[in-house]
Amino acid sequence: MLRASAVCEQAGIPSASLVCEGFLQQAKAVCMGLGMKLPVAHMPGHVAVQPAGVLEKNILEVTLPEVIACLTRTVDQPVNAEEAPDEPGLRDIVFRGSHDAVNEHFQQRGWSDGLPIVPPTLAKIEAFLAHTGRKPEEVLGVLLPEKRTATVWSVAVNGVMSGCRPEYMPLLLAMVEAMADPAFGVEHAGATPGGDALVILTGPIVKRLGFNFGQGVMRDGFVPNTSVGRFWRMVLRNVAGFRLHGNDKATYGNTWRVVVAENADCLQALGWPSCCTDTGFADGESTVSIANYTGGNVVAQVSGDPRRQMLPYLADAVVRQMSWQLTFSVGAGLGRLHPLVLITPILAEAFAVAGITRSDIQQYLFEHARMRAEDMERLLGDWSDLVSECNLAAMADKGTIPQDFHASDDPDRMVPLVWKPADYSIVVTGDPLRNNAYVFSPSGLRGYRVTRRIDAEGMG
Amino acid sequence: MTQAGRDMSAGSDHEGACSVYWPGAPRQGGEKPLARRLESLEGKRVALLWGWLFRGDDVYTLLQKALTERFSGISFIHWREFGSIHGNDERAVVAALPEKLKHLGADAVLTAMGC
Repeated sequence: MLRASAVCEQAGIPSASLVCEGFLQQAKAVCMGLGMKLPVAHMPGHVAVQPAGVLEKNILEVTLPEVIACLTRTVDQPVNAEEAPDEPGLRDIVFRGSHDAVNEHFQQRGWSDGLPIVPPTLAKIEAFLAHTGRKPEEVLGVLLPEKRTATVWSVAVNGVMSGCRPEYMPLLLAMVEAMADPAFGVEHAGATPGGDALVILTGPIVKRLGFNFGQGVMRDGFVPNTSVGRFWRMVLRNVAGFRLHGNDKATYGNTWRVVVAENADCLQALGWPSCCTDTGFADGESTVSIANYTGGNVVAQVSGDPRRQMLPYLADAVVRQMSWQLTFSVGAGLGRLHPLVLITPILAEAFAVAGITRSDIQQYLFEHARMRAEDMERLLGDWSDLVSECNLAAMADKGTIPQDFHASDDPDRMVPLVWKPADYSIVVTGDPLRNNAYVFSPSGLRGYRVTRRIDAEGMG
Repeated sequence: MTQAGRDMSAGSDHEGACSVYWPGAPRQGGEKPLARRLESLEGKRVALLWGWLFRGDDVYTLLQKALTERFSGISFIHWREFGSIHGNDERAVVAALPEKLKHLGADAVLTAMGC
């Protein structure tokens, strides 16, 4: 919203941005990133929970005068003068002291996540830089909301701090390039649902760097999986600028997620393609995918006949994890809902033995993970107000969403959760000999799936 | 080079003190000025931009009525003219704003909802 206001101001048209009381601090932080002191008219409380009379009183008594002032009163304060102190240069030494003193210094300045960091000394930074042929000053992208330039150098510094090993550098660079991809939408990483990225690795890099892809995947304890997951949020904090009580407006936060690695051995044995092929990469490539998820749940004890019991159980589990997220299918993010299903090797093998392929699972989920049309409309319209006047039939008739959502006028008709079978991501990972699965609820546009090839050149 | 010398050049000395670097990165771009404010809203055309969430339609209805009562000749460009500024096509919608606002003769804009 503030980005729209900034574009208007730059076009010479004065703006007033309407911001709820609880978001004023975030608005201030976003304005710093935009380099503009955008005039804001505030709304007391949160409009979503106010009875009509309260809303009217608040808007007319508080917001209206501020709107008029925003548009007519000259705003003469310097843009950043009071908020933005002098910042260090890219290669400035910012502190000298003991390990403990460094940690205290970094914590006090909001440069760490609450856990001790590895002090980023020149020797350690240079060890990381040695694993890439790219120059330290090379810009990988500009990260909103603080609009800072992510460089090879800043990747190395944050990699050191997070406890990564130097040889992870090519992976870390690919992750930050993915973060900077406009398709991912890093500016939404501090959105109120509090989703966080899950990093998924494929290809030879998994074994080469020692990632856990077996029992207990997603549990901390393996240096690569844990430290690389931490690195993601460290960059969000230090380069993109997401900090709690500032730009990060998570209502209930997720912490950073331990990295998931695909089990290539199992895929090869079954003749199944890697999940990286979903995003256009070649089977067997070393890739990193990122996408935000607000949460998920284990699907325990997937048992019985693969067609009559296992697939129906998975479809049921998917439906149970998709709620307000459906707005990314038929609302704000048309066709951008990609539920993620992790299955263990033993489940994949059971499906394969039954003649069920990976794409068959996707097709089954598309056809059977469904809910009543009336329930979806109630969820997105009446309950969450995420889609105003939610009417699936009208949207399908207009061509806004596929006809699958309006196969009949029956409010009890079962409608899909996504637009097409390939919207389901299936990843084989986890305990090879346990019949569990896991379903993740995606954040759609607020951290949309992006994949990058990992440059193997630097991996010594 | 001695061990102490190697430690110093590596950023730490024999007592464990080390010199450390900033984990941040420079901001891109400098300060940008705001647009010139209006003398009055009388006779002005105000565009309503919305992310189609959080009762912005209700809020705009209230503001439109109140502003119309207070400023003669004020008019509004409905939010449906622009599409959602917080949806599937938000980058394209926002990028198209300058041209569209000019075409529609907007003098000012309201944007909503920061929630």
